[in-house]
Amino acid sequence: MSVLLEVSGLSKRFGGLKAVTDVSFNVERGQIFSLIGPNGAGKTTVFNLISAVLKPTSGTVRFDGRDITGAPTHSLARLGIARTFQNLAVFKHESVVANLLVGMHTHLKSGPLSAMVFWGRTRSEELRARERIEKIIEFLEIEDIRDATVGTLSYGLQKRVELGRALAVDPKLLLLDEMVSGMNQEEREDIARFILDLKEQLGTTVMMVEHDMGIVMDISDHVCVMNHGVKIAEGTPAEVSANPAVVAAYLGTRREGVLA
Amino acid sequence: MRTGHYKETYGELIALSDSGVAWAWVAALAAALVLLPLLVGNYTLSLAVSVLIAIVGAIGLNLLTGTTGLISIGQSGFLAIGAYTNALLATDYGWPVWASLPAAGVLSGAISLLVGIPSLRLKGLYLAITTLAFSFIVNYVILYAEPLTHGPNGVFLNDTTFLGLDLSSDRGLYYFVLGVAVLVTLAALNLLRSRIGRAWLAIRDHDIAARAMGIDLVRYKLLAFAVSSFFVGIAGGLMSLQIRFINIDVFGFLLSIEALAIIILGGFGSIAGTILGAVFLTLLPEAIRIVLSLFVDPQAPAYTKYIYEIRGIAYGIVIVVFLRFKPDGLIGLWRDVRKYFANWPLAY
Ligand SMILES: Nc1ncnc2c1ncn2[C@@H]1O[C@H](COP(=O)(O)OP(=O)(O)OP(=O)(O)O)[C@@H](O)[C@H]1O
Ligand SMILES: [Mg+2]
Repeated sequence: MSVLLEVSGLSKRFGGLKAVTDVSFNVERGQIFSLIGPNGAGKTTVFNLISAVLKPTSGTVRFDGRDITGAPTHSLARLGIARTFQNLAVFKHESVVANLLVGMHTHLKSGPLSAMVFWGRTRSEELRARERIEKIIEFLEIEDIRDATVGTLSYGLQKRVELGRALAVDPKLLLLDEMVSGMNQEEREDIARFILDLKEQLGTTVMMVEHDMGIVMDISDHVCVMNHGVKIAEGTPAEVSANPAVVAAYLGTRREGVLA
Repeated sequence: MRTGHYKETYGELIALSDSGVAWAWVAALAAALVLLPLLVGNYTLSLAVSVLIAIVGAIGLNLLTGTTGLISIGQSGFLAIGAYTNALLATDYGWPVWASLPAAGVLSGAISLLVGIPSLRLKGLYLAITTLAFSFIVNYVILYAEPLTHGPNGVFLNDTTFLGLDLSSDRGLYYFVLGVAVLVTLAALNLLRSRIGRAWLAIRDHDIAARAMGIDLVRYKLLAFAVSSFFVGIAGGLMSLQIRFINIDVFGFLLSIEALAIIILGGFGSIAGTILGAVFLTLLPEAIRIVLSLFVDPQAPAYTKYIYEIRGIAYGIVIVVFLRFKPDGLIGLWRDVRKYFANWPLAY
């Protein structure tokens, strides 16, 4: 296995608050990599730094052999990084299909003039896009809502649409920030199955921030634990859950332990 | 109920409309529009031309404000640029209309980038005020660049023809403007079902997510300004063809409010809504005139004196009422009605 994502010495300060301090880790190709930690540990901030939504105070991010630190946010989709957001970030006035098609943006080429005519290349690329979107719709089992306005759907389905939109990017690295929070048990199991299928069928590398320890322990290949902005442990699910520092971190914030 | 219809090809999925009924209505409407000059007098025909021009201009504004979410109240500035470009190129430089009208759109689109660049940092009210200031600047430049624009004297248009159509006749102008309006409508519908229209909607709904999906905000906001103002510039050029004599008084602030009222009335982001809104709002002063004439003599000086104010008040009422009670506009109302009858007689 080779390294797909290399995070080194990453730090982010918001004024006086050190949200992330000197965090380093590697994500291998084809891995399911979980980033966990108590509330406010800095997990979302790490995601925002990797996906260039935020610029780091210091440190570097290398993806697929190139330095992407400080790259413009919109350039990452083309390189093969797609993400979902902790708080729903769907285009809620549009249909499910339209949301997914936005994910295909970087795979389509037509400019304004050919789009106005909508013939030839534009038409054929739109057809191809629509065909690919149908595959994603089928994969996520959302056929019966494909024309629904996303804002009218249940929270769980909106999350699923957001996942679909990220899949439409056809990413090498998929970043999922608390995908299953707010979902019921059945929806959670669906998502876990989708993530495993992605890994097995497409070889997609998945990095996820997750509070659901059941899913983390079940499907992760590798787990990284943060607390108060620093990395406190890293290893296989079994290694991490046996780590006293990790247990202490979780006990410090909640009564039940990480394995409860 | 028209739900759960099944598509056999991907071509049907990306078609403008999959409904035979819709296409039948479009065909009927097309026939009516083509036959209109044979059925009505010149006054009605010139009202129809005003409606068509309003459609072109409001579609332009809707791409920027309704679709991309960038609020502009500088519409009158772009209309003025388009009208003056077309009129001056035709009158002073002898350009034929097939060249001067596209030039009006292109110049308006190019100048819009000057407002577009500050818009990258400004949002909402701040952007709206920038566009307003811009429209005042345009008026001043036109007024004081007298050697180029004839300043306060205004511009007369020579008689023009296009492919044998006499654009100085009501009928010729009607067919010409109808053709342009149809092309602009199709172009806008096509844009909205392409990656570009989707990128604009994405920016309006969630700009951070749009960026994460690979959409370059700078590029697509500027593109929205350019394309929108291109269409508005064309609308301005058409105005100059209709009124034949333009001066700066034509392009007052009320035009910007009228355009905004049209897209609010019709429904943000909807082309069909824009058309409905343009029809209703352009005919509204006419309706007010007819109603008032039942009570006062239409030749009375009080009436002609206050018509401008009355229009302004009417637009204001439309904006306030629809924003408050029906933010998705007439097109939303239409969807509600259709949904109601689809389920009728069973309530929801
Ligand atoms: N944009 C911001 N500006 C200021 N402070 C921020 C910003 N984003 C995050 N923070 C702060 O940084 C710290 C880490 O936040 P972050 O969202 O990364 O935590 P998290 O691990 O994702 O937590 P949770 O599990 O609750 O989602 C928190 O104290 C948070 O308040
Ligand atoms: Mg978080």
